Amino acid sequence: MTVMICRCEDITEEEILEAISQGYTEIEPLKRRLRIGMGQCQGKTCIPLVERILARERCKKPEDMDEPTARPPSRQVSFGLLAGDRDE
Amino acid sequence: MEDKRIREHPVLEFERGHEIHFDFEGEEVKAYKGETIAAALYANGLVKFTESKHHHRPRGFFCAIGKCSSCIMTVNGIPHVRTCVTPVEEGMKVKRHGALPEFPKEVPPSSPEAKESKVDIAVVGGGPAGLSAAIIAAQHGADVHLFDEGDHQGGQLVKQTHQFFGSHLEEAGTRGIDLAEDLLREAKKAGVNLHPGTTVLGYYPEKTLAVESKNGLEIYHTKGIVYATGAVENYLAFENNDLPGIYGAGGVQTLMNEYGIIPGEKVLMIGSGNVGLIVGYQLLQAGVDVVEVIEAMPNFGGYQVHASKLRRAGVPISTAHTIKKALGTDRVEGAVVHVLDEDWQPVPGTERELECDVICIAVGLHPDNQFVRQAGAEMKYVRELGGFVPIRTEDMETTVEGVFVAGDSAGIEEATVAALEGKLVGCALVERLFGTSDEISDMKEDIKAGIEQMRKGPYGEYPRRGVKLCTLDEEVC
Amino acid sequence: MTDYKETGILSLDDIKKPSEDRLKKGPVVVIECVENIPCDPCVAACPKDAISMDEITDIPSIDFDGCIGCALCVTECPGLAIFVVDCTSDPCTITVPYEYLPVPEKGEKVFALDREGKRVQVSKVVRVRSSGKTYGITLEVDRENIWKVRGLEVKR
Ligand code: SF4
Ligand code: SF4
Ligand code: FES
Repeated sequence: MTVMICRCEDITEEEILEAISQGYTEIEPLKRRLRIGMGQCQGKTCIPLVERILARERCKKPEDMDEPTARPPSRQVSFGLLAGDRDE
Repeated sequence: MEDKRIREHPVLEFERGHEIHFDFEGEEVKAYKGETIAAALYANGLVKFTESKHHHRPRGFFCAIGKCSSCIMTVNGIPHVRTCVTPVEEGMKVKRHGALPEFPKEVPPSSPEAKESKVDIAVVGGGPAGLSAAIIAAQHGADVHLFDEGDHQGGQLVKQTHQFFGSHLEEAGTRGIDLAEDLLREAKKAGVNLHPGTTVLGYYPEKTLAVESKNGLEIYHTKGIVYATGAVENYLAFENNDLPGIYGAGGVQTLMNEYGIIPGEKVLMIGSGNVGLIVGYQLLQAGVDVVEVIEAMPNFGGYQVHASKLRRAGVPISTAHTIKKALGTDRVEGAVVHVLDEDWQPVPGTERELECDVICIAVGLHPDNQFVRQAGAEMKYVRELGGFVPIRTEDMETTVEGVFVAGDSAGIEEATVAALEGKLVGCALVERLFGTSDEISDMKEDIKAGIEQMRKGPYGEYPRRGVKLCTLDEEVC
Repeated sequence: MTDYKETGILSLDDIKKPSEDRLKKGPVVVIECVENIPCDPCVAACPKDAISMDEITDIPSIDFDGCIGCALCVTECPGLAIFVVDCTSDPCTITVPYEYLPVPEKGEKVFALDREGKRVQVSKVVRVRSSGKTYGITLEVDRENIWKVRGLEVKR
C-alpha cells in the first residue's frame, strides 16, 4: 500500500510515520532526514500534507506549526546556470 | 496512433500551429507548434513520463504548470527539463531519464556573468493580479518588468472557458480566456516589458531580484516588487495517489482548455468547490464523461448554479464521501469511494468501486508564497485564505518595504478580486514612485470599494474574515 | 440549510414562480439562482430592467410584469440559471441555455431533461438563438412538464 506524500523526493506516508516514531517530530528535522519538501517543487505539494500528518500525530493544529523556512533559490536552478556560475 | 486532441469544442477554438515532429526515445512523435513537450506526448497517449527515484513508481503528467516534477525529462541532452512548460520544437530529442539523470555532456550556452539592470518595478507572475498591477504602473509611466515561468501569460485565466461572475463593471460574463487576452493586450499597449519563460530565483536585499532567463542569470535592481505568484493546488493522501491518471484540477484545465487535449474518457472528480464543479462542467463540454463528483463535507462547496449545471447533465454529486484508493498498477483504472460519518470516519459497508481512467483532485488551493516568504515578509497562517499568507497593509505591501503581494498568493479568492488587488498594488506603486494625485487616490477608493463588494454575501464571509486577520491598520506602518 | 446544498437540485419551493395570471399573458423569465453570490450580468442583460439588485451579492429580484420574455438574459447568465417559459400555447415552450456540442437545429427532435439529467420527454426545437458561444434553445414541452424540463440532450 503506497500513500505518496512527497512526489518529488518519493517519500511515502509510511516512511514519514516511521521517522516521526524515531523522534523527527518537526518539519525542519524531517526535511533533513528524509529530504521531504526539498525536491523540484520545493515542498509546494507535500509540505501542507506533512504539516497535516504532524498535526494529526501530535494533535497540533496546522496554524500552531512552525513555518518551514525558505531560502533562495526558491526555484530549482538548471544545470546550465549552475555550471555557468561555477565557471566564474 | 492515439490522439487525445479535441477537434471540436462548443466554446473554444484551438489554433494549433503547424505540424512538427520530434523524437521521443527513438520514435517520431507528431506535435503542433505551440504545444509543450508534455502536452504533445500526452496527446499521443504517453501515460508514464518518469519513474519515482526510490520506489520506482510510474509518474504521469501532473501539474502542467511547471510546479511539480512529474514530467522532467532529458531534452536535447539536458536533464531535468520540465517538459510541461517547455515548448516542443522540430527535431527535438526527448527521452525519459531513470532515477539519476546523466550529467549533460554539453553545457548549454549560458553567460557566466549576470546581466544587471535597474528598473522601476518587477512583477512576478503573469496572472490577472500581476498583469493588472503591471498595467496600472506602466500606464502611469513606470518602467515595469513582468516575469512569468510559462510561455502563455495570463495565469490560470487562460484555462477558464466559463464566463466570469462578478459585476458587469468588472468583466463578468466575459470568459477567462478572453479576459487574459485583453489583459495581455493592454499590458503590451501600456509598455510592460514581458519576460515569459523566465524563472525567478530569489530576492536579495534592497528590492533586488535574480532571474534565470533564456540568456542566463539576470539581476534586476528595482524600486518595488510585486509577488503575484498565484496558488498551488492541495494534494490528497490516499492509497495509490500518485498513479498516472491522477491530476490536479489545474493540470486538467491546462491540458484541456489551453492545449485542447482531453485527460481521459471517464473522470472521477474529488471536491465540489467552484473549481471542482467548473472543471467538471468543462470536462463535459470537452466530451468527457464525469462519472461522479464526491465531496467529504455534508454539503457541496461551490455555487448552487454550478452544481445545478452538472446535475442537469446527469452527473451525481455525492456529499459525505471520500476516496479510499485508486485502482490500477500502471495507471488509474478505477477508484474505491466510501461514505464518511460525522466524525470523518468511514461508514462500514458503504465502499463502492467506480470505473474511471482519470481522478481529478480539486480539494482547494493554498497560496504560493515561497518567494515572498524568502524575501523576508512576515507570514501568518490564515485558514480562511488557504494557508500561510503575508501580513500586509491595506495597500497590499508586506512587512518588507517596497515588496507587495496581490492575488491568490496573498490569499485564495476569486479571480476578480485578484485583478482588483493587482490594480490596487499598481496604484500604490505609482504613488510610491511619482507621488500621489487625485486621480490615483480616487482610483484606489473605487478599487477598495469594488473588493469590498465582492466579499459580501455568505461566500465572501471566509475571505472577509481572513483578510482582517492579516491586514495591518494603515496607521501602524 | 436546505436540501439543494446536498443534492444540487432545486425544488419548486426554492424558486420564485410567476403568478398563474402572469403565465397566461405570455412568455416570462424563471431564474433558478437562489444564493447570495457575487454576480450580476443578468441585471445588465435585461433591456426592460426587469431584473434588479442593490448589491452584487443580492439574489436577482424579478419584476415579472415588466419582463417581456425576450430571453436575452438566458444566454448572458454565466450560471446558466435563467429560463423563459411560455404557457400560452399548447404545447408550452421553454427556452434553456445550452453550451455543448452538437448544437441542435430548429425542427430537430431532442430529449428534454429534468434537473437531474433524466429524460422527461421528446421535444421539438422551435428556436435556436445565440449570444457568443452560449445558445438559448427553445423547446416544445407538454404543459405538465413545464416545471420539470430544464435541459436537453441531442438525440443524433
Ligand atoms: S426575458 Fe427579457 S425581459 Fe424578461 S428578464 Fe430576461 S431579458 Fe428581461
Ligand atoms: S447572472 Fe445568473 S448566476 Fe449571476 S446572479 Fe444573475 S441569475 Fe444568478
Ligand atoms: S512533493 Fe515534496 S518537494 Fe515536491
